[in-house]
Amino acid sequence: MGLGLLASRTLRSSSRIFHNNGPTTHFLRTITSTPDLNNADASASAVQQPDLPPRNPVGGARVHFPNPEDAIEVFVDGYPVKIPKGMTVLQACEVAGVDIPRFCYHSRLSIAGNCRMCLVEVEKSPKPVASCAMPALPGMKIKTDTPIAKKAREGVMEFLLMNHPLDCPICDQGGECDLQDQSMAFGSDRGRFTEMKRSVVDKNLGPLVKTVMTRCIQCTRCVRFASEVAGVEDLGMLGRGSGEEIGTYVEKLMTSELSGNVIDICPVGALTSKPFAFKARNWELKGTESIDVTDAVGSNIRIDSRGPEVMRVVPRLNEDINEEWISDKTRFFYDGLKRQRLNDPMLRGPDGRFKAVTWRDALAIVAEVMHQIKPEEIVGVAGKLSDAESMMALKDLLNKMGSNNIFCEGNGMHPNADLRSGYIMNTGISGLEKADAFLLVGTQPRVEAAMVNARIRKTVKATNAKVGYVGPAADFNYDHRHLGTDPKTLVEIAEGRHPFSSALKNAKNPVIIVGAGVFEREDKDAVFAAVETIGKNNNVVRPDWNGLNVLLLNGAQAAALDLGLVPESDKCIESAKFVYLMGADDVSLDKLPDDAFVVYQGHHGDRGVYRANVILPASAFTEKEGIYENTEGCAQITLPAVPTVGDARDDWKIIRALSEVAGVGLPYDSLGAIRSRIRTVAPNLLELDERQPATFSTSLRPEVSQKVSETPFTPAVENFYMTDAITRASKIMAQCSALLRK
Amino acid sequence: MAHIMLKKLKVPANSGSLEEARSRTFEFFRMCCRSIPHIMEIYNLYDVVTPSQLRSAAAAEVRKNSNVTNPKVIDMLLFKGTEELMNIVNQSKQRHHIVGQYVVGNQGLVQDLAAKDQDTSNFLKNFYGSNYS
Repeated sequence: MGLGLLASRTLRSSSRIFHNNGPTTHFLRTITSTPDLNNADASASAVQQPDLPPRNPVGGARVHFPNPEDAIEVFVDGYPVKIPKGMTVLQACEVAGVDIPRFCYHSRLSIAGNCRMCLVEVEKSPKPVASCAMPALPGMKIKTDTPIAKKAREGVMEFLLMNHPLDCPICDQGGECDLQDQSMAFGSDRGRFTEMKRSVVDKNLGPLVKTVMTRCIQCTRCVRFASEVAGVEDLGMLGRGSGEEIGTYVEKLMTSELSGNVIDICPVGALTSKPFAFKARNWELKGTESIDVTDAVGSNIRIDSRGPEVMRVVPRLNEDINEEWISDKTRFFYDGLKRQRLNDPMLRGPDGRFKAVTWRDALAIVAEVMHQIKPEEIVGVAGKLSDAESMMALKDLLNKMGSNNIFCEGNGMHPNADLRSGYIMNTGISGLEKADAFLLVGTQPRVEAAMVNARIRKTVKATNAKVGYVGPAADFNYDHRHLGTDPKTLVEIAEGRHPFSSALKNAKNPVIIVGAGVFEREDKDAVFAAVETIGKNNNVVRPDWNGLNVLLLNGAQAAALDLGLVPESDKCIESAKFVYLMGADDVSLDKLPDDAFVVYQGHHGDRGVYRANVILPASAFTEKEGIYENTEGCAQITLPAVPTVGDARDDWKIIRALSEVAGVGLPYDSLGAIRSRIRTVAPNLLELDERQPATFSTSLRPEVSQKVSETPFTPAVENFYMTDAITRASKIMAQCSALLRK
Repeated sequence: MAHIMLKKLKVPANSGSLEEARSRTFEFFRMCCRSIPHIMEIYNLYDVVTPSQLRSAAAAEVRKNSNVTNPKVIDMLLFKGTEELMNIVNQSKQRHHIVGQYVVGNQGLVQDLAAKDQDTSNFLKNFYGSNYS
């Protein structure tokens, strides 16, 4: 190469830099790429160009380097990007701020690499590579926007659309369909299709998932989800070539409690929600970011509503709680919000029938009766769906009336509210992933908290953690050892006589999870003492690790204990003359005297109403703003998505109004004021979306002399699909209970 | 007759000052008062309302905007008032419109005149009203 040629090349490249701050950049890059790229020096100098505007990673992603030496540098469209070793080309592109189109790749599932949509050009590679399956190598030069990559995508798109029906106008996925969006962005503007499209027989996957299998593009996301996350080997791929289809092989329903998530991960309209089918279009829905309260996990959800009606519930991403999945109960209970609702204040007449009255009359009667009864005979029960504000107001009202008999259902009559570490999940839900041995005591996480179970399954799958289970025969979707059915087994483990104690002893981060069903047992203190002994002997509680967990059942439990809803006497129901049920349907009223006056404040005509004398209609959690604390001690807030039904009022407002009518006015009349009252009792409830760990460990507890009984543990949740007033009113949940319960 | 005059009514030019607007307002109110006997006649309102009650209803409508000081806004309100009056006089409305708007008023048919809410707080009054207030 002559000196003159070199000089002219230098000149040219410098002049390129000079010209490079305008719309001509793209033009120059496209046209002159080939000669430049054949020359390593020139392409290196092209990489060094400072002209490219900075880009941000897709979705604000951040890269964590477990080991700084393992960082490698790759070039994406000319940008140098530092990534840890082992990342794929697609992940490197995401870090560089380039979103690669994809169908089969999903960050939480294994890599299949069969859709070929993510093809990119890599320098010195003879063919375009599937970026989701190709590991990034040091110095790799990735090009995502070249004619070769575009042509590859267009070709893949054409093949996918060849057998995809043109039924977007009647497809429920329309408007939020990956195939639709990507064919708009990367597809060809004309088709060469002349033959017949193939058709596939629809599969019956149960009452929740609707299938239109002709729309399937065989990305196998649902197959991988079912086997990897849900832990059921129900779905699979049948046939080869054009006869390939997803199915269950034999006629079989999908019996996972997480099956609804295949609706979200399906990139096309092959798997859609059956209850939502043909009900609404996604662009006419209003999304409200809220919290699920049907179990104690507090999954983050988005409530999609149209006018006064909740149309569907979809998950929101929260890595610490539910990742991006939700259970079927969370996703499909919403039709219960339309049935059995209480919409007017009602009074039971002498003939035993309810008669609608005005709020004025209803409150006046309740206030009058309340004053005629001795303070110690007044009892308040908070239901499992109560928010912290209304529980605070109820406790304040009863205390002002002179009674201290208030509790939250599910917490039992002797709740331990003194040490917060004794009733929350101390590791946190995401902290379970660090564990390498689990001991489940009287809890069936699969039905009590499906998202916690998914987390345990993830851990077991990733680290082969050992799981021991003490309790009644239960269904698990991971390897476990059934150690026994009664608390005697715990004593054996505590004394080191049981084979499982060596597994616990050898574990680095052992976790013990006690189910909240134990709260209702007579020998609750002894069981907890035994568990604590196990913890002490196996190094479960250390300064850097607290693996002693309680898995709660209901959305209100943790907040109730934080607010100190503890009954003064454990026989309060037997001696009560006035019972205030705030949405409490599962508390046993059999022993209640017949002449007791029962007020039911709630949103559904459920079990509590049968015994009630007065009904005060309240709003459901989709209609009010309320703080709920989940089982790991993270306070979160629900937001109103739809208006209240009929003449219903928010829970705390009813209690505030009643207090004034009764002449014991509570000193707050706004949500802000009631929250500052909560701040004086349990300030952790106001630290929203942030887990507040317990300060003291349970080792401060006094010694217990109680002995464990031989009564076996009982299941805390009999029917996963129907646990509270809303889910019991839901038709879909009833269908699920009939078809899917094992 | 007032109502015949009304039919030929033209929208006047803008008021130059607050004084002019004020006098126009009075003129408008007088016009309303003058057309009340005719309104009573054509809508057959004798058994539900007296002319003086209708006059107070009209005065209340005017007083609703007593805080307005911008002559342009007053002109606009006068225009709307005149239009309404014209609609009534031309019988573009029906009897229930008049009864609903000017005889029964905003309170509705059920008028809670009880004194029981006298010493309650605003919170309780709002609570009885609706969930959203």
